[in-house]
This record gives sequence, structure tokens and C-alpha cells, in this order.
Amino acid sequence: MKDFFLVFKNLTRKPLRLFLTMFATFVAFLIYGTLTTFQVAIDSGVELSADDRLIAVNKINFTQPLPISYVNRVKGVENITGVTHLNWFGGYYQDPQNVIVMFAVDEGSFLDVYNELIMTDEEISNWMQNRQGLIAGEAIAARLGWSVGDRVPVNSNIFTQSNGSSAWEFDIVGIYSGEDAQTDTNSVYFHYDYFNETQSFGQDYIGFMGIRTADPQLNESVIKAVDDMFANTPFETETVPEKAFNQAFIEQIGNLSLILGSVVFAAFFIILVIVGNSMVLAIRERTGEIGVLKTLGFKSERIFMMVLAESLLLALMSGALGLLATSAVVDLINGITAIQLPVLILKQEIILEAIAIMVALGLITGIIPAVNALRLNIITALSRQ
Amino acid sequence: MTALFDLKDVAKSFVKGKEKITIFEKLNMTIEDGDFVAIMGPSGSGKTTLLNMLGGVDQPTGGEVWFDAERVDSLSEGQLAKWRANNVGFIFQFYNLMPMLNAARNVELPLLLTKLNGKQRKKNVETALSLVELADRAKHMPNEMSGGQQQRVAIARAIVSDPKLLLCDEPTGDLDRATADEILKTLQLLNREFNKTIVMVTHDPAAAKYAKRTIHLDKGEFVEEELVA
Amino acid sequence: MGLFSQIWTVVVMNVRSLPQRLWMSLAAVLAVSVVVAVLLSFLAMSNGFASTLGGTGSDSVAIVTRSGSQSELNSVIGRDSVNIVSTAPGIAQDENGQPIYSAELYVVVDGIKKSSGTEVNIPMRGISPEGFALRDRVDVVAGRMFEPGTNEILVGQGVIDQFAGFDLGQEVTFGKTRWSVVGVFSTGGTAFESELWADARLVQDLFNRGNSFQTMRIRLSEPGNVEGISELIENDPRLILDVDTESDYFSSQGEALQGIVFFGWGVSIIMGLGALAGALNTMYTSVASRAGEIATLRAIGFSNVSAFFGTLAESVVLSIIGGVIGALVSYTFMDGLTTATMGPGFTQVVFTFEMSPELFKNGIQLALIIGLVGGFFPAWRAARLPVVTAFRKVA
Repeated sequence: MKDFFLVFKNLTRKPLRLFLTMFATFVAFLIYGTLTTFQVAIDSGVELSADDRLIAVNKINFTQPLPISYVNRVKGVENITGVTHLNWFGGYYQDPQNVIVMFAVDEGSFLDVYNELIMTDEEISNWMQNRQGLIAGEAIAARLGWSVGDRVPVNSNIFTQSNGSSAWEFDIVGIYSGEDAQTDTNSVYFHYDYFNETQSFGQDYIGFMGIRTADPQLNESVIKAVDDMFANTPFETETVPEKAFNQAFIEQIGNLSLILGSVVFAAFFIILVIVGNSMVLAIRERTGEIGVLKTLGFKSERIFMMVLAESLLLALMSGALGLLATSAVVDLINGITAIQLPVLILKQEIILEAIAIMVALGLITGIIPAVNALRLNIITALSRQ
Repeated sequence: MTALFDLKDVAKSFVKGKEKITIFEKLNMTIEDGDFVAIMGPSGSGKTTLLNMLGGVDQPTGGEVWFDAERVDSLSEGQLAKWRANNVGFIFQFYNLMPMLNAARNVELPLLLTKLNGKQRKKNVETALSLVELADRAKHMPNEMSGGQQQRVAIARAIVSDPKLLLCDEPTGDLDRATADEILKTLQLLNREFNKTIVMVTHDPAAAKYAKRTIHLDKGEFVEEELVA
Repeated sequence: MGLFSQIWTVVVMNVRSLPQRLWMSLAAVLAVSVVVAVLLSFLAMSNGFASTLGGTGSDSVAIVTRSGSQSELNSVIGRDSVNIVSTAPGIAQDENGQPIYSAELYVVVDGIKKSSGTEVNIPMRGISPEGFALRDRVDVVAGRMFEPGTNEILVGQGVIDQFAGFDLGQEVTFGKTRWSVVGVFSTGGTAFESELWADARLVQDLFNRGNSFQTMRIRLSEPGNVEGISELIENDPRLILDVDTESDYFSSQGEALQGIVFFGWGVSIIMGLGALAGALNTMYTSVASRAGEIATLRAIGFSNVSAFFGTLAESVVLSIIGGVIGALVSYTFMDGLTTATMGPGFTQVVFTFEMSPELFKNGIQLALIIGLVGGFFPAWRAARLPVVTAFRKVA
């Protein structure tokens, strides 16, 4: 540690170069931090899925309907603690581009199966009593400017009312929050009965069922029991754990982690080259000084460590600034309500991983100049200055 | 006086391209504790090589180098570094101060190799700087000082860890006469009052006069040795 | 010596001395090439997607959907509505004087994406022989056409490429019915190739659609002109429908990946700032190492303008080399890469990354900007190097 001052002075002797090198590294960690929090937020939809919840959809595809009678039949299956059903409504508010993730649900069973949504008792009871009542997540309510007590028209791009209109009137009776900070609160739920009685076609069909099992270990047996019950009917089911369902849904978009990962890799590759080069150059310029230090009795290993410490310090300082900027960007993005974005959290794991990358980066960019310094012969060093 | 350095049949040669160049074939010399030796000679006579071998930064290709009854030519690089830190102070022609460190921090460098704590180091640095009469320049950066001042900082750096031996390579080669004399007087003082053994390579006969004796080297041989009163 | 020949002399000297600063120069080139490669890969992705969907629609075909449905999947049109619309003016007629149109179904079935092994939404179109005639460039490239009234399906070439379970001769089960894959069709790389095609009537039965359809495609007597149809729809209160040319309909859907363009530019610009820092570093080092040369030239009478442009040129040359390398890398690895994503119709669209001269130009422009900015400040320093100081630095 006695050498820290020396290392620090070496690092800061050329402020412009230091600034440029740090800036390049800073940018890479900003990209890393931001994209990784995005990735984690996207994955959280999978991570936060309840282990004891299953999704039963039509075997042909989840956009195909199931008869409503299935719900009662599933209730009789062993080891099930709750069954509810949901219909994708295809809702949009005011502008067709302003799509809302909106489901018609059975209010009686819905909150038992989806118990991570938190509302006050008063909101729940208001919802139960109001046929046109609608509950919205915090995020979507903020985006659309909805608050409890509002009466809003929502259109469907799939369904029309028997009277030909595609607009439904709703009373906002509750705004729910999530159990976890990253629980999705972009969805809106309303009464299946209201939907079923007013829409013009396909009555008494449901989109899919949410099933809660007594224990995740019993999932397999429940899946088999449900799917077997409807085998060889015109509406066969395919039941999967919610986690697998959400995972598959994300996979439909494409390999996002590959894309984000490649960008992060490219960013790090750039700074690896820039910083590595700049370190080699910096140490080469100091050949004479290193010779003097060795003459004074500094051991080669000690100088080797000093060079490594310098590149480590560089990586850690710029990386820390990058993470700091990331947290500012995360706050900024979380403050945006105009478009639907996941809740970003700069989690501890990301920070730890970033620190590990900083250390690796520092060691990799420092190793070549450090070895050069280690091997430097005093006579050549002094004669080359 | 006892022998501080004892060189026995020291040989030094190196290969340059296809040619083998021999600098010393059989060099024998003794340097007493408390001596002040000037080494003179034309370019290529091996002055600096000899100094480097004395300082343990260059290894002889044959023979033995004894320092204070310890054989030093066969030490490993690491052992030599430690030995230098304990026993040798270096003074270079171009001062070789660290440009990003102030005078005090430059002088402190060799103390980083000791077990002294920060407070002790600071005290020793102050002592060394006042010995070269630069106590008031402790916070100055090398580029804010004259050549003579820089060389005095370098001397302070060489003596701060209290080594027995000072090795000087053309210490006044880059300085004007008056400044050079000051530096040489300081060296003389260190030799006389503090009993430092000094070996100084120089091409300047006026500088050599400050030494107790002068060795003339030519083609790897001593050609003359004169004692100064 | 004129200013231009002065500049030229300095440029040639700088470029010739580049190998002396090989590693530093390579670092700058590499950084720029990575940035350009990243940018062009994203642009090629969205360009490919847009051109797949954009190329899908025909200008001489109108598409009628339920008003507000936004995608074929959400649309519903009853048989009676189809019949009314088919009487509209502006519809091309066959030799028997019958209007040329095709009422189609569009449902979603599960397929397995080869790259991930997960279930994805594959569109299955219920179509009739008339529907075939409404697609340009449609061609059965393997097997044969399905027999109307039987459980036979044709699969698009994109489906064969990207999804498992639909190989020629294979049997597929949807619900309780089994279908056999009897042919593979191509439509010249359009989005239709991501679909399964089967007889409309059977699809109606299997998916309980009664006698309703989802979209109606109409051959226009005059390309681009849907006015007759749209007037008829407007004047008939029973029809809550939209009409558009098929090409407009798909082009607007092709903009779905526009977000990728913004993302690509955003990321590349931020990465470009990192590369810019690298370029500045390289160029400052270059100026420092050439300080002696620059001073010498200044001493013998070269102007500082030549020192400025000489340095700027070096930076620009390095960046453009980087830009070209990046573009070539992106072209080599990305152009022609086929993948599938969730399209606007909530179903998979198979598309191919597509580089274009326009994109290439974008990449080179980005490289040029990095080169100019990265060279400007060091060039400024070079131009202002006092002759004497430069000499001293060499010593």
C-alpha cells in the first residue's frame, strides 16, 4: 500500500490521456450496466413467475379458446388450491397504437391464484361489487393517467359489443402494486361476466386457465391429470408451469440475450483494445523511470504489481463511474411513463458482476505492460531513456 | 581502513551481432571503506560498465565481486535489488527524478523499500533534504527546479536510506562549472563527514580533483592511479 | 510550394509513417470497425424485416379487414359481408365476369423454433385456389398443391427453414385433426413464406369459424385504387370494415422493428463516443511522436495549415479503414442471416438480414465523423506546436 501514491501519480500524470481512456471504459460499463439491467428486468418476468402456478392453454396454440366448462372440471383435480380463467381482450385506449395488456377474469378466483397483486381491502370489495369495475397496475395507471374513480372507455381490437361498438365503459376501482419491485404492473383486469354478456361472438369461451397447485413438486402430476382429462376432445389442453410459459413467450421475440450480450461484448472488446494499447504505451514511455526504480532497489515483481495496480485502478475507477451513471440512467428510464418499459433495478448481482469484469479488464490490459516492466533490463532501460 | 569492495579477476564481455566484445579480461581492484574514487577514461573504456557492476545492476561474466565480505556477483536479481536498497545510493548524470513526484516524494522512494512508517519516512526525508540545503524546496516538482537543484534532490534520494556506498555516473556532466563545484563539494562533505564511500565516473578532470584518488581506465586496463592529497 | 502540395506532402509522410505507430493505429481502426459493425448489424436487421414485410404486399391487391383490428389475426368478416364487398366497383373480373377475390382465414398454431427449441406462434392461413392467384411469384417448389377439401397443408419455405415439425410428408395434429404436409411453397422471400396454407373451408371447420373469414383479398382493376371499395363500405352501415392496398397494409406493419433502428443508433453512438476517445488518444500520441517532424517541416517553411490537415487526414484515413472493415465484417456475417421474430400479427415472421448501399453509407458516415472529430483536436495541437518546443522535445 506504500506504493499506492506512486501508482496514483503514475496514473494521473497525463490527465488528457487518463480522461480519454477512462471515458472509453466508462462508456463500456454504462452500456453494460444499462443493457444488463434491461436483460434482468426482462428475465424477471420469468424469474418472478410463481413456481406453484400453471398455465393451461389450448394445445393448438394459446390464442385458441377453451370452453368455460373446463374451469369447473379442473377444480376437481387433486392437489389444486385454485383455478381461475383469463381472456385476452386486445384492449387499447384512445389510439389503436396505445395497446393495453388487458384480461377479462373471474374476479372470485383471480386474486387467489394471482396473489402477488396487492390492493387494499376496500379496493377489492369495490371491484367485487362493481360489474364494470376495472383494476389497473401502478405502471399502466401512471402511463395512461388513470386514477381510482375515473370512468374510461377502452376499445378492443378483437371484440365488438352486441350493439356494434368496440368501446367498453369501465370504472377504475383499484390500482394494484406488486409484491416485488419488478412484478409486472402493466396489466389491467376486469370482470369476465361483463365481457361475456356484452360481446358479440364466441360467448362462454375462455382464453386460458391459471392453476395454483398445493406444492410445486406436485406440478407434474397436476399437469398430467389436467391434460389427460381433456385428451381426445375438440379442445385439448396443454398445461405448463408459468415460468416455462413466460420463457417461451420471450423466446418468440428472439434471442434477446444473445443480441444484448453481443453488444456488451463488442463494447468491452473496444475498450480492451483501447485501454490495453494505452497502457502499453504509457509503460513504454516510462522505461527509463522503471530502470531507475529497479536501480534504487525496487524488485521487478514489485514494479510488476505496481503496473497491474495502475491498470486495475483505472478499470475500477472508470467502471465505478460507469455504474454510477447507469444508476442515473435507470432512474431516468424508470421515470418514463409514456411508453411501456419494464422496471429496471441495478441489482447487487449486476454490480458484483461488473466489479468482476473491472478486475478482469484491469488484469488483462495491465498484464502485457506489467510483464514488459518485469522483464525490463536496467542497463537497456537506462540507456534507452 | 578495511576493504569495502574487492574485485578478483573480473571479466566482462558481451556479444554484439556476431562479434564478441571484451571490456575487461582480468580486472583486480580494491576499494576501501571511506574511499572517494574517481574513474576516468575515454568513451568505451568501460567506466560505466564497471560502475554498473559495482552497483549490481550488471553482472560480470567472470571473476568475483566481494562487498563487505559478501560475494555479490552471484546473487539473484531479487537479492541484488535488496542489496542495492540497503547498501547503495545512485546518482545519475540526468538526475532521473520521477517527473510526477515532488522533491520530497522523490527522496522518499528508497524509504518505501524499508520498514519505516510514514512519520519516520517524513523525518528522514527532511533530514536528507536539509543536508543538501533544499528543505525549502520539498514541495517543488522536478520541472520547477534548476539542474543543480534537481541533482541535489537526487543526492538526497541517494543518501536518505543511509547506504555505505554512493555510485555517481557523471554527476556533473549536465551542469555548469559553478553548480558542478557545489555538487562535488556536497559529495566531498558526505565522504568526509558522513564516511560515505563514493565511486564517481567522470570525464571531467576538475571533478576528479575532489576525489581522494583517480583511476584511469583504458581498454579495460588501469593505466594510472594517482592519489590526491 | 502551394498550400495543397504542402498538405499533400505532409499527408503522404504521415500515412507512410503509420506502420511506426502500428499498434496504436490498429487500436483506433479496430474500435471504429466494431462500432460500425454493431450499427450496421442492427440496421441490416430492421432493414431486412421491413423489406420482407414491405415486399409482401402487392399494390394491385386490396385487403379488407374488420375496422380497428390492426392485424389479420384479430379481424373477422362474415360471409355476408364478403358477398357485399365483392360487388364493389373497381374490382378486377375474370373471363366469366366474376370478381377476383379470396376470403381467407388466419389462425395461429404451435410450432417449434429450431434455434431455441421452444413453442412459437405459426400462422396458418385458410386459403382457396383464388387466393393463390392473388399472390405474385407464388410457386410450389417441392411436393404438390393441396387437394381442396382434404386435410393437406402446404408450408412456406421460411417455416421449413426456421421451425421444426413441418417437413414434407410429415403428419401434423391440430386438435383432433391430422394433416399431412404435401408441399412447400415459395413467394420470393415475402412474409407469406412464414405461413402454413390449407383449404379455407377445412380451417373454418376445425377452428369453429362457421362461415366467417378474417380477411378478404381483392384484385384491383386499377393498381393502388381502392376508392370504389372504400366508398361502398362507408355507405353501408352493416360493414364495419377497413380497406387498404395490401402493400400499404404490410409496409405499415414492417415499421414494427423501427425501435431496433433507434436502439441500434443509440448504442452505436454511445459506443462511438468510446471509439472517439480511442481515436483521440491515438492521434494525440501520433502528434507527440511526430512533433520533431512537424517542427522540422515548419522550420523549413511549411505552414501550420499543412500540419493541421496532415494530422486530420491521418485520423480520417484510419477511421475510414475501420469503417470499411466494420461494414465488410457486418456484411459477411449478417447479410443473408435468416431468423424469425414475433411480427406485428402476433405470429412469427421469418426474415433475412439485408445490407444495402444506403446502410453502408450510414456506417461510413459514422466512421467519418469519428475520424474528423478524433483528428480535429490533435490536429489543432499539431498546428499550434511552437517550432522551438518541438525541437526540444526531440532532443
